[in-house]
Amino acid sequence: MKILSLDSSSTCSTCSILEDNRLLGEIIYNDKKQHSIILLSQIDSLLENLNLDIDNIDAFVVSEGPGSFTGLRIGLATTKGLAQGLNKPIVGVSTLDCLAYNIAFFDGIICPIMDALRDNVYTSLYKFTGETLERTKDYMAIHIDELIQILKENCETKVCFVGDATSKFKEKLSKNFPNSYFAPAHLNIARASSLGQLGIKKLLNGEQDNLLTFSPIYLRKSQAEREYENKMRMVPNE
Amino acid sequence: MEFIVDNIDKTMEIGFNIGKLSREGDIICLIGDLGTGKTHITKGIALGLGITENITSPTFNIVNEYDGRHRLYHFDVYRVNDPDEISAIGFDEYIFGNGVSVIEWANYIEDLIPKEHIEITIDKLPEMDDNYRKIQVNFWGKRYDYIKEIKL
Repeated sequence: MKILSLDSSSTCSTCSILEDNRLLGEIIYNDKKQHSIILLSQIDSLLENLNLDIDNIDAFVVSEGPGSFTGLRIGLATTKGLAQGLNKPIVGVSTLDCLAYNIAFFDGIICPIMDALRDNVYTSLYKFTGETLERTKDYMAIHIDELIQILKENCETKVCFVGDATSKFKEKLSKNFPNSYFAPAHLNIARASSLGQLGIKKLLNGEQDNLLTFSPIYLRKSQAEREYENKMRMVPNE
Repeated sequence: MEFIVDNIDKTMEIGFNIGKLSREGDIICLIGDLGTGKTHITKGIALGLGITENITSPTFNIVNEYDGRHRLYHFDVYRVNDPDEISAIGFDEYIFGNGVSVIEWANYIEDLIPKEHIEITIDKLPEMDDNYRKIQVNFWGKRYDYIKEIKL
């Protein structure tokens, strides 16, 4: 089974083609958000260099979020278009799962953090049991301080942070968690190959998403949280 | 900072002077009734950013984008009933992105406006003349100190 996977949920624009357990090719650009310009040409050059036609793809895997609203919509629209045109199955995988899977077999807590702006992160907690990735919390959009609280209550020994928000909060996190690790650059991005492998597992389990009803998980902060932030406003300079 | 103006050109000039000094990530909120000149301030800001394209109010599409010295995101949230609606179009990605954001009727989405921003309030002065406006410019945050240099 050949699958094409893509993730455009963050600054990173990435697509890959996997054949069962083998990664045939992957393209990653992690510069600036320009998915609408580069994503299709990435897919095109991947297929061309692998001497494949889009007809050879048996299923599509796409990031279902959370992440950039615009990015997610570009990813989903692209994948849905291809899947519908070819009448092939489509399956969504969470970018948070994908990031956690980058840190395979880490023997502590894996905590993906994606920048959700205003000092918020999209996050969840994971651990590996043998070769299986297990999520131990819901997907959340929370303030970084709230995440620190949750981790303090749940942290057994060591924790590995992965994702684009690590650059913003590394100092704060390492101060709070002396036994913390941060993913190296090549693992610190949502990779289409990681997403694709999780997608293949789902497909082999008979899971797939409905082309017509499948929509992204945006994960947004509640009104109450925004009102709280509003109260914390400053006084004018003049 | 407060200006009293008696014609549209002067309103635009205030916008132009702000636009000339604006930097990536600036957030400019416009507050004022219908017909006070919010869009004219925006036209001025656009000119100051070197944008020559005609600026029209994005009342129906919520946001218009223009390319200039910096990108301009021009919002009009008059038709937005609930801040959640504008959140859903990815508002944060715009205002924390690499452009200058101008938001007409920003008072409708107060909850979503970051602490640091410029606020321009325009009021009619009916006791003087139909064309008179009082334009108040306030700012929160050091990054906007350049506002102190604005003259008319």
